[in-house]
Parts: sequence; structure tokens; C-alpha cells
Amino acid sequence: MNNVTFEPLRWQEDPVRITVFHDTEYRRAYYQVTAPRDPEGICRGRPVEELPRILTLLSPSHHLVSAMVLDKLFGVDPPPMALNMREALLQAQFFSHHLRKLYFLLSSWHDPFSDYGRHGSRKELKMFPLHFLDEIMHHQALSQEAATILGGRPNHPLCAVTGGVSRFLKEEYYQRLSEIAQFCLKFAIRLGGFFRDEIFGDGKALEGFDAYQIEPMVGLTSAEKSGHVVLNDPVGKTNDPFSPDMLFKKIGLHQASWTCEPFAHIKGASENTTEKTPGESGNMFYAEFPGSNPQFFFVGPLARLNSQDTLLSPLAEEERQRLIEVLGPFPHFGVVAAYWALLVELLQSAEKMTELYVTEKLTGPAIRTIPSEMGQVGHAVLESPQGLIYHHYRTDQKGIVEEVEVLGTGSANNVLRCLLTQKAVDISQARGETWKETQNRIEISLLPF
Amino acid sequence: MSDFEPKIIAFLCNWCAYVAADTAGIARYKQKPNVRVIRVLCSGMVDPSYVLKAFAAGADAVLVGGCHPGDCHYISGNFKAMRRAPLLKKLLTEMGVASGRFRLEWIAASDAPQYAEIINEMCEEVAGLGPLSPSITE
Amino acid sequence: MPNKKIAIFTATGCRACENAILDIHYQVSSLAHCADIIFWPYVAGSQWSDLEKQENIDVCFFAGAIRTAGDREAALKLREKSRMMVACGACAAFGGIPGLSNLNRSGMVGGQPQGTTDNGQQTHEEGKPRGLPPLESRVSALSQIVKADYFVPGCPPPQNFLWAAIQSLVCEGISPARLTFAASRLPEAISQAVSAGILPPKGSIFAGEKAVCATCSRVKEEKRFETYKRSYQDYEASGRCLLEQGLLCQGITTRGGCGGLCTAMGQPCRGCFGKAENIFDPGAKMVSAISSTFDSEDAQEIEAIVDGFVDLLGTFYRYTLPTQCALLSAPSKDLKHE
Repeated sequence: MNNVTFEPLRWQEDPVRITVFHDTEYRRAYYQVTAPRDPEGICRGRPVEELPRILTLLSPSHHLVSAMVLDKLFGVDPPPMALNMREALLQAQFFSHHLRKLYFLLSSWHDPFSDYGRHGSRKELKMFPLHFLDEIMHHQALSQEAATILGGRPNHPLCAVTGGVSRFLKEEYYQRLSEIAQFCLKFAIRLGGFFRDEIFGDGKALEGFDAYQIEPMVGLTSAEKSGHVVLNDPVGKTNDPFSPDMLFKKIGLHQASWTCEPFAHIKGASENTTEKTPGESGNMFYAEFPGSNPQFFFVGPLARLNSQDTLLSPLAEEERQRLIEVLGPFPHFGVVAAYWALLVELLQSAEKMTELYVTEKLTGPAIRTIPSEMGQVGHAVLESPQGLIYHHYRTDQKGIVEEVEVLGTGSANNVLRCLLTQKAVDISQARGETWKETQNRIEISLLPF
Repeated sequence: MSDFEPKIIAFLCNWCAYVAADTAGIARYKQKPNVRVIRVLCSGMVDPSYVLKAFAAGADAVLVGGCHPGDCHYISGNFKAMRRAPLLKKLLTEMGVASGRFRLEWIAASDAPQYAEIINEMCEEVAGLGPLSPSITE
Repeated sequence: MPNKKIAIFTATGCRACENAILDIHYQVSSLAHCADIIFWPYVAGSQWSDLEKQENIDVCFFAGAIRTAGDREAALKLREKSRMMVACGACAAFGGIPGLSNLNRSGMVGGQPQGTTDNGQQTHEEGKPRGLPPLESRVSALSQIVKADYFVPGCPPPQNFLWAAIQSLVCEGISPARLTFAASRLPEAISQAVSAGILPPKGSIFAGEKAVCATCSRVKEEKRFETYKRSYQDYEASGRCLLEQGLLCQGITTRGGCGGLCTAMGQPCRGCFGKAENIFDPGAKMVSAISSTFDSEDAQEIEAIVDGFVDLLGTFYRYTLPTQCALLSAPSKDLKHE
């Protein structure tokens, strides 16, 4: 059985191995996560108020959703200033996360450590001077600085606690925050111009990726105002929003033997009964699931844009219109659209930062509401930069955690990644590319999700 | 497991508990031989680290003996020991060290028979518990 | 002087340490002046097969704890090839938050059974990919698998110490940036070495010497408290020492150098820099520190106060369970690092 392995895979949060079997008529590609995370095991037995600091291991935004669960569990509403501070931190995380992904994309063409040649570095494509990457990192550092001011540490924040945030901001920080927001917005606009010219639309750089798409898939997003969760079916059927505590009634987790990360899927069979012929992308994969017609979903910037009409932030909305001009109307399921969605959300987060990083929004009489009683159950969802995340805790009377359920983007997008990997391998090999080039295709396809 | 001989480390305060142990020895009270005595100047001197170190080094049980409250040679030293004991016990229990393995006892200098009794009791209890193998427990 | 060859790798953990290196002073590309980054899977896509072609590596920054057989293999492979291994971050240095899995009694981790040599997936199904690396019976830190030469603790390590480590081990003093800000909080032996451009003594920990309390900005008055508070209860967010207010703050047993990051944010320290010098067991030291503040001489009262404390193991050894818990840790390969 001939196979090719790529390990570890670049730019992934988890340790990942790709295995492709290629000696039969159809190539079967597997996206394998090679180590488990075990958030449940780590949290069981811990005092529940410690969970924001522990679960930030999964990603910085998990810190915020964890605090939201605590608010529910203790039955408190954070004061407006605290909500603004948490939102401000979230926007800094959005900016930082999306910028990093775009940096990685650019670094695949122009190696920042270019003293040493590396595969995938197409030196002939000198689209931009090397110091442009440095400028990107400079603005990355600025948004990390904002995250540090608001949250204590950039990658593992501290500030979100039960009922609010842990401390007031110091005087001198308001000025700095608003400066940072200005710099970030200006840069986001410049970056947008560069990407439009060189990468998207008329740009040649992502030309080969037009066909890299998955079949239309339901998107799982949160309805902003209500905090409810929505399954957006691209075939047009509207689904009712449901409250977060119903999430694991609608979503199931399936564990396969060949990957540590479970697959999140929609419970119940799909109404789409078209028979899938062998060889069609991902068909081997469908056989993994119990039942005859599994229904899948994905999360992330593209899922969010698929579910919204007009964006409130003007510059982001302009960018979204440009996307529609070039790629057609939403919904989209391709790699190029996913990268463009990152850009749209980058602009959106920069605009939200300029709105929020003002003294009036970030001052107030109280930083948190002290709880007077303790419940035993809490649920919350949050749109993190990488996609919707969900936490659920159950405690005993002393507030010690008995059960933790987490839906992270690793599980939520696991199906998408598998399908996209298979697609990338199929297209790339059909075009006669080398395995090294296929590896690069896989990396670039998976990066924006 | 009748041939398991527990190792007990006893931190005894110089002014009361050690004197009692000494007297018990001279008066030939019947005692189990499993005790290794460490004479300290006051039970308040026994840092929780010493207790953990004793367990880590292979002790199956640890005894801390001090003067009765109010009789401490250094006035309030034994209160320090008294304050530490419950929290230390809690930590040890979480680590899988059964509560019978660590005792804080007040032993007056004249109370040699009590000393002997405590030793014998501890030995029996720990022999029943078996050798110490720390693991996580509830 | 030829460029140093460096490798950067994370086993089990998160990407915060590697992102911290990437975010170094927003001049990560200037690393290229003094180093060839020949193995950085996360950023450069390096494969294990690339590593095999290399003769040797000068400095390897290893982050993440060892949870699977794959992690262990990675640690061994990199140690074999590298002149110097740096345990980067609390996970590699002490076990970190993944180490809390050792308190998980269910025997299963994320759907995988723990500690079996053959976890069933090795029975090769036709057409299915090679099985996943089996889980070890416990999570370990890097120093329990191979000898680690230097440690940069923290979750994630603060920029200044990472930069100091890179300066001293990779650039060996020859670099465009100034060093003084990094050298100021380091113990003398290391900061002198960093400034002079020579290697610090093996086993050095790139952090402070004293406890966090020495650099914490909060005001310390009389240490007494009557009840133990949990952090969802009411307390002063800034100003007074947290331990004095009844919270469990581990600054007293934790190595300093971070400048009291968490306490400045109003959150109690949880010990991500590991235990301070001359401490045998951080849990024991915390017991001693806390119980010395109990304002009572009555045994019943003290029992009542102690009853409120919860999850001592998970709190005192939050980041250090695999290595620094006297009763529950396995021995380290590096005898100098206790």
C-alpha cells in the first residue's frame, strides 16, 4: 500500500499528519490530529472560577467564552464597562489572529528567513519587498500590545472573570489604545489594497486555487443580538435559532480511530439523498460516519459572511462588496473566498477597535458584579476569530467542576479540513503536480479555515 | 501483608515529646521498633516541607510530637504546628496519603506511656494500610 | 562567524510559545542575520524527513509537554541532533497545564485510552492510515525525558526572557539590538554571561531569583486573614496584597522575574514560572505560608477555615505537577535542576 506522509503540517494549531494512499484508482487522503487536547480531563476537579485561566490553553478567545459561562453559572450580569473591555479584547484578538494568517500566506511566497532556501518559496514571484512582512509583524505587535493592555498577556489573557473584568485600566493606557486603533486601521486599509492588487481578484497569486472548494455546507454561527446559535443552510432553508444550552442536542461528536480530534456533525440524517459515487471527493470519508446520510457544518469567517447580509462597519462592507463583484454573491465555500473573508473581518475588527478604544467606552464605576449565589450549570457561545466556540460546565455545590463540554474549532472544522484535504490532493495530483507542491496546496487551502 | 514493617519518622520536640520518648525507652515500655526519631527544638519548627520530604524519601507515616498548647517552651511554637496541620492533612489526602499516616500529637514530658501507646497505634494502623504509594484520590 | 542552526518545535500544548518567538520584537526576520532556522514546522513547514538530512542543530527551542509516544520520539530525535536544548515555556520546563491530566482519574484522554503500549489502533486496518502514537501513562516535562540545558519558564515566556535566551544562546552577544533591558531582571550569573557574549552555565533558568513578591506591585501590610476567599468573591482589584485579602496567591513560592504580571491584573499568581530557589515542594511551602496567616488559636476554628479550601493539588501545582510535586512526580534526567 503506497502512501505519502506529510508530518507535521504547517500552520496548524494541533500537531497534524496528512496520509495519502495513492496506488488505487482513487486517492484517499487523511487529515490526522496526532495528539489529544483533553480539556475535560484537565478541568474536572478544578474550582470553576479558575477555568478561564486554564481553558485559555485552547485559544485566547476561550478565555472570554469561559467567563461568559461563569456569568451564567453565577447568575450575574457584567457591568457595561466590563462588557466593552471584553469586546475590546476580542477585537484585538480578531485583528491579531487574522493578520497572522495573512502573514503566513505571504510568507509562503516570500520567506521571511530568506537567508535559507525552503520549499514552497517561489523566489521568482517577488511581489513585495521583504520589509513589508516586517511591517505586518510590527502591526501584529501593536495589536498584541492592545491585547496585553486589556488582558494582561497577549496569548493567554487574564482579565475576564466572573461577572466582569479583573481591573480598571490605567489612565495612560486610554491614549495608547486609541493610537493603536488608528495605526491598525490605517494598516488594514493599506493591506487591503495590496491584497486586492496582488492576491485576490485580478491578482495572479491565488489563481491556481479557484477550484479548491468544498461542496456547500451548513454554517454554524451566532446571531449577534440574541446570543443564540443558528445553523445556516446554504440551500436556502431557514433554520430557527436555538439557545446555547441546546447545542449538544443538535450537534454530535463522532470519534474516528485514526485521528484524536472528534468530528462535530449535525445530528440526524441529511435531507439531501443524492447518491455519492465512489471517487467523488470525500466519499470515503462519509463512510466513517454512523447512519446513512451524515450532515456536516463548518464555522469561521467564511461561515459568518455566508450568514450575514450587510455589515455594519463601512470599510468592511465595501470590501465585502468587492468580494461579491469578483467572486459572485454569497454563499462561498472556496479557499480564495476564505482568505478574502479574513481581510473583510480584519477591516471590521480594526473599525470596531477605533469605535471601542475610547475613554468613554472603557471607563465606568464598576468592573464586575459580585455574585450572591452559585448555580451549577452554565453554557455560552462566542464567535472567536477562528469560528464559533461553545463551553458548558456543570459543578457540584462547592463550585468544583464535575463536567466540562467544549466545542472548539478543532472539532467543528475537522470535517471541513478532511474534505478540503481530499479535494486538494485530488486536484493537485490530477494536474500532475509533485507531492511537494501538493503539500503546499494542502497547507494553503487549510490555512484560512 | 504480615511481614510489612512500616517506617515511621517522628519529629519530636526537645522539651516534651522527646523527653517522653526517652523516658519510655528507659522505662522499657513495650514499643514497636519502627520509629526513627528526629529531635527538633519545637514542633513549630517542623515545616510542611520536612513532612513531604520524609514521605518522598520513603517514610510510610510521619508523627509530629509537641508540647500541650499553653506549655510550649517558646510560648507559641506549638500553635504554629497546630495551624499547619489541617491544611497539610488536606494536601496529603489529595495526594493519596491516607489520613492515618500523618499525626500531630501533644505529648507531655511526663507522659511516656502515652507516647508508647501512640507509637503502637500508629504502627498497627499503618501496617494495615500498607506501604505508601502516592496516587491521586478524591 | 557562521550562522547558528536553530530548531523550534512544540510537542503537546498550544502555539503560544512559538507565537511568542514569532512576535519577538516584531523583528523575527532579523533572526536570519545570526541564525538559520532549519526546523520550524509551524512556520516554515519543515518535515521530520528534513531533520534527518541535517548533521546537527546548535540550539533547539522545545515547547510543549510530552504526552504521546510521538512527543517522546520528537524529544529524543531533537536532543540527539542538538547541541543545546532549551525547554521553552512552562509545559516543557515543568509539565504545564497538560500536566493536570495526571490528575485525571478516568484513564481516558480525549477518547484515547491512556498508557497502553498498543492502543488498538495499531491493528492495521486495510487502507486506514498508520495508527496514532499511543499515549504515555502520564504527562511529562522535557527534562524528564532528555537532559534540558536551559529553561525559559512562563506561560508563555515573557518577551524579555525569550529575547535574552535567543541573544545569549543563538547570537552570543552579536546582535543589532540592545540587551540591557533583558539583562536587568536576570540573576547575575546569567546577565553577566549574556552581556559578555558567552554561554550561561548549563541548567540556567532564564527568570529571576527571588519570589514573585519581590517585584509584585501590590502593597504588603500585616498578613492575616480570617476566611479564605475564592476569586469570584469580592476583593480589591488593585492595591493590597492578594494573599492578605484571603485569596490563594502563589507568588510566595513562585520564581519571579515576570514583574507580577498576573497580580497587577488583579489575578492571583498561579506559579507558571515554577518554584523559586531553595524550595523543596511548592505545595508544602504554600501550606506553610497560608497557615501562618490564620488568625486563630482554636483547633475547631482552624478546621473550619481549612474546610473552605478546594482543589489544593490542582492549584498549588497548576503548572508543575509532573516535575515539582514531591510525591507525584517522576525523577528528572537533569540532576542539577531539582
